[in-house]
Amino acid sequence: MKQLRSYSKTAGIHGALLAVIIVSSVPFYWAAQTSIKFTRDTIRRKPTLWGFDVTADPYRKFWFVDEEQNMWAVGLFFLALGAVIAAILFIRKRCETTWPLTLAVLGSLWVALNLFPKTFDMNREFDYFVNSIFVTVLTVIISISIGMLAGYGLARYSGLSGAVILIVALGFRALPRTAFVLPYFYVAKELGILDSRLVIVLALVAVNQPFTIWMLRSFFMEVPREIEEAAMIDGATRLQAFRMVVVPMMWPGIIATSLFTLLLAYNEFLFVRVLAVTNWTLPVAISALAGGDSATTVTEGAAAAVSITLPIVIMIIIFQKHLVKGLGAGAVKG
Amino acid sequence: MATLMVFPLVTTIVLSFNRIFLRDLSHREWIGFANYTDVLSDPDFWDAVQLTTLFVVTVVPIHLALGFGIASLLDRVVRGRKMYMALLLLPFIVTPVVGTLMVRDLFDRGGLLAWLWEVLTDDPFVITSGNVKWILIIHGIWSTTPFAVIVFFAGMQTLPGERLEAAEIDGAGFWAKQRFVMIPHLRSLIIFVLLISIMDSYRAFDSAFVFGQSVGKSAHTVMVYNFDVALRGQFGRIGKGSAIAVITIIGIFVVLIPFLRKSYKEQIAER
Repeated sequence: MKQLRSYSKTAGIHGALLAVIIVSSVPFYWAAQTSIKFTRDTIRRKPTLWGFDVTADPYRKFWFVDEEQNMWAVGLFFLALGAVIAAILFIRKRCETTWPLTLAVLGSLWVALNLFPKTFDMNREFDYFVNSIFVTVLTVIISISIGMLAGYGLARYSGLSGAVILIVALGFRALPRTAFVLPYFYVAKELGILDSRLVIVLALVAVNQPFTIWMLRSFFMEVPREIEEAAMIDGATRLQAFRMVVVPMMWPGIIATSLFTLLLAYNEFLFVRVLAVTNWTLPVAISALAGGDSATTVTEGAAAAVSITLPIVIMIIIFQKHLVKGLGAGAVKG
Repeated sequence: MATLMVFPLVTTIVLSFNRIFLRDLSHREWIGFANYTDVLSDPDFWDAVQLTTLFVVTVVPIHLALGFGIASLLDRVVRGRKMYMALLLLPFIVTPVVGTLMVRDLFDRGGLLAWLWEVLTDDPFVITSGNVKWILIIHGIWSTTPFAVIVFFAGMQTLPGERLEAAEIDGAGFWAKQRFVMIPHLRSLIIFVLLISIMDSYRAFDSAFVFGQSVGKSAHTVMVYNFDVALRGQFGRIGKGSAIAVITIIGIFVVLIPFLRKSYKEQIAER
């Protein structure tokens, strides 16, 4: 009897959780199924939930100049890219030094990014996609490099610094973005560097930096000082100890912090909307698409939404553990 | 770093005392507090304040409660936890603009929820200036709850099981266990999430901007109102926009001073 009760209790919990994840993911499901429909099936009052005709037209319209674009060729391209990366990863698993192969993965992604628009005739949206990647990657690299050094310093020579950094980070988070975006806009316009991707990167780094420093600092605090000291007694310089002992222990923290910075840069809307005139990133592009008066259809909007979401979903699937850990760690200590 | 923070702030404050237009930035004129009186007597500003307040006082408590509830459910299962977590994270990681559009599509003609509404009430559902604020709030809760869940869940995992067992032996029921064991254990985390969520819902921009594109001013939070005044079209009034920004800065700090003081003290006490 007691066992039966505990079974039904577990079932109840799972039922509740299922309801929760249905609510959290239904908009994604809806966008995904809208993005493969014909427009005629979406404008009815009663939505066609199944048995509708499937099409890739919305994606063609969003990404390609040629509305008759052969999607099998595009699929083949991604298949080839996936095969190359899988092969490299396979070799990487059996090698001792892995970094050249990690570079090879990044390199093949880069080559693909350059090859893709040469192979296919792309819309402007592809340029926005490239901008998104450019801004995101650069913001992550710069913030993490500064954050590593500053966070390490603050973690080791701590006085009041931790408290001050925390307050500044919180203050930055609290302040409305508009308080920063107007002066940035003003200065950029006066200097004539509006619409440059670097200004966007700079602004994003500036706004996000206190948070990065604070988070990395709390991860550095976890690396015991003794380990470094031991390395230094063995004859390493401080920099060597940092590079060869501390950084390898920090990888989970670095990945978690990078993920947050990545999400921030990739998702940023206001700064890009204000500081970019034509060099948009994807969020601004899709908001213009959805709010514009042009005859964009729901299906094309959904295709755009899915296209924008897919890269981060892939990132998160790969790094979910780190993200959850980072959220937990940053918060539990904060 | 101080320059990166202080310089823009000082610029904002200086600009807020000037008459300066978007179409000709080099031309400015000192007008004292005129921008401020202009803002404070603008009914649109007060509408935006009202909407922002409504948004904060609904989204913050509801998502805290939901986050706590879902986290304690997650804490009780082992099988499938990873999958639940992954699907829960989606609203948190999705680009806010995109998430808003996805939610909007559910309510639009041909959308799932609009259709359900029609089935249940026999009236077609249309997003209007009247109901848009509720949709904004629904989206707000949908997109912020995962953060609370993950943070609370991480906190719950650090609670030693013996303490709950001890409470059970002492005769504590479900609610008593939450009230006297779990909530005190998570106290600092609850304050942390509360703080973050107040900040974030106070400065809600992306979702309100997207809805503002379809229904206009009735979806304008203070941030969107600010953007609208300062940068929309050729009539952007940078001066007045800066004044709004300064007012919002003062506003958030009045709300947050107790929290900031407390976390500062705690940081000092740690040493």
